[in-house]
Amino acid sequence: MKVMWLLAVVVAAPLAGCGGTADDDNDLQVLNVNSRYTVESVHVMGLHRLKISDPLRSELDQVIGSKYDDSVLKKLADRIRKELRASDVKINAVRGSEPDHLIVNFQVNAHEQRFDLNMAKFLYDSKQGWTGDGSATTHIQGNAFTFGLLSDGDSLIERFAGVRVKFERKNLGTDRLQLRFEFDSFHEQWNQATLNAAQPSEIYRTRQVFTPEATVVIAQPLELSFGVSFARFRPTAAAAKTESANAVVSTLRYHRRWGSEQELTGAYSIRSATSVLESDPAYTRQFVEARYRFRHVHNSVEIGFLAGRLNGHAPLFERFVLGDSARLRGWNKFDLDPLGGSRVVHGSIDYRYRFLQAFYDTGAVWDRAQDREQKQSVGVGFKKEPFQLAVAFPIRAGHADPVFYAGMNF
Amino acid sequence: MRTIKSWWLILAFVSGFALAMAAEELILSTHANRLEFSAPRLHFLVGKPLELLHNAAPVSFDVQATLWSGNHNHVFRRAAERFVVSYDLWEEKFSVTKLQAPRKTASHLAALAAEAWCKEQMSMDLTGLDPGEPLWARLEVRAQDGKEGGPVFGRGNISESGISLTSLIEIFSRPAQATQSHWSVDAGPVMLDELLKRSHGRGS
Repeated sequence: MKVMWLLAVVVAAPLAGCGGTADDDNDLQVLNVNSRYTVESVHVMGLHRLKISDPLRSELDQVIGSKYDDSVLKKLADRIRKELRASDVKINAVRGSEPDHLIVNFQVNAHEQRFDLNMAKFLYDSKQGWTGDGSATTHIQGNAFTFGLLSDGDSLIERFAGVRVKFERKNLGTDRLQLRFEFDSFHEQWNQATLNAAQPSEIYRTRQVFTPEATVVIAQPLELSFGVSFARFRPTAAAAKTESANAVVSTLRYHRRWGSEQELTGAYSIRSATSVLESDPAYTRQFVEARYRFRHVHNSVEIGFLAGRLNGHAPLFERFVLGDSARLRGWNKFDLDPLGGSRVVHGSIDYRYRFLQAFYDTGAVWDRAQDREQKQSVGVGFKKEPFQLAVAFPIRAGHADPVFYAGMNF
Repeated sequence: MRTIKSWWLILAFVSGFALAMAAEELILSTHANRLEFSAPRLHFLVGKPLELLHNAAPVSFDVQATLWSGNHNHVFRRAAERFVVSYDLWEEKFSVTKLQAPRKTASHLAALAAEAWCKEQMSMDLTGLDPGEPLWARLEVRAQDGKEGGPVFGRGNISESGISLTSLIEIFSRPAQATQSHWSVDAGPVMLDELLKRSHGRGS
């Protein structure tokens, strides 16, 4: 309990200090006299040899013809800055050639940031303990090299800890083609509930995954990633040999924003492990996920949906899990299914007013149809991205044991 | 001869008073039992905030008025307001909105008029103030002119995760107090009954 208080203080401090920036943006937009003017054209200046991607160019073009919105332009300036790794991007607005129109110029200070550190996830879950995922990236001649360390007890049925090394090139002759190589090496720890439920041959102690992958921007905002995942894992059983789970992977993603208020992200992925790739287990894993966010002034609603299906006998790291920090929050994943499931469906709705949030999750994870049982949970908390502090309760008869979450980016 | 001396004395007093008034950056006056502030030499629609305004960005200004009575340790009253200023690129005029209730807006203003309007909104009720005690006043203005376009947590795409150290360093090494534009003017010590007489004299 002391730990929770400490966490509450640690997380609440930045929450209190961050101020309602997004809300302030909305206020400022309403009060800006220039919001009645129409954007005539948008230009990016100071690029020199740099070039912005087609997707970003498309988003910039969407601003043309709309009413002047300083907060939207600031976000675009930030996106330009990140994409070009520029030290600064300033917005310069001047009168347009037509009455009541404005011309927007983004002035890029193209001094490139070559090195960055990133904390992708940092979480304390009162049931599962700590999770941390951090990495360092350096950019050389358009290539990004990343080295990361992580210990994740949240997203899979196993706790995996180890290193992640990644090479990425976001422009392979064209902005529409990207290339990525990733190598992961993890050690596994298992919950006793999983050990009791699993066959000894299903439990492995190490796992290495090598994934070469290419991404093609089909038509903005739709992109397709495809590649191969070579996974090797060593079962704990003394006599067992190292196994491989080699799969063709493919993901179709969609991401679109409408102004500063609405945003939709969707993805469908399929992984197919076959003997053609000398995979020991043969299976197909399909997963679909969508999230829609609507934000208006101080209010924000986010609706999420996901579903997955696994055919064949897949290793445990491929199985679906609910009861983590993002899905069916409040439930203990080992109570739901200590081995994870081969079928999953989940929906959630999150409402936020300024820093306050409330959420409702519902979903089921199962193997056999007769075992399917819909679960629900509710929760409340404080969220000021990326920081979050939440308490979630499973909805069930009898004693409801809450789960506390605190951290960032979960 | 005596008459000339008297005139010199009066002239010296008046010019001394005028000089003191001119040197005093914050000018206090009373009206309908309220203390009003004017500071003709305090300009905050300048520099970086003005640059932002001229680029069509709205800028928030936090204004605080503090009144001490008796001694400089006793705060009698303090009032704070937030004003949002924007500059119409086509009309070349400023618009100002006072955010706290009752929300008020003034538009089509020149820079000086916009500044003066903000200062006028800071008037303070004098009820409870002893007219025989000295008082001091301060007017502070702080512009929320943080780094434009700078990322603030969670502004990214909903599928994006991660906060970069660069962003963190940028945010935490950008302490508003250190980089934000701010101004402050003081007045006092002055007696309330003097102010009341002065205001009464002007009124009669």
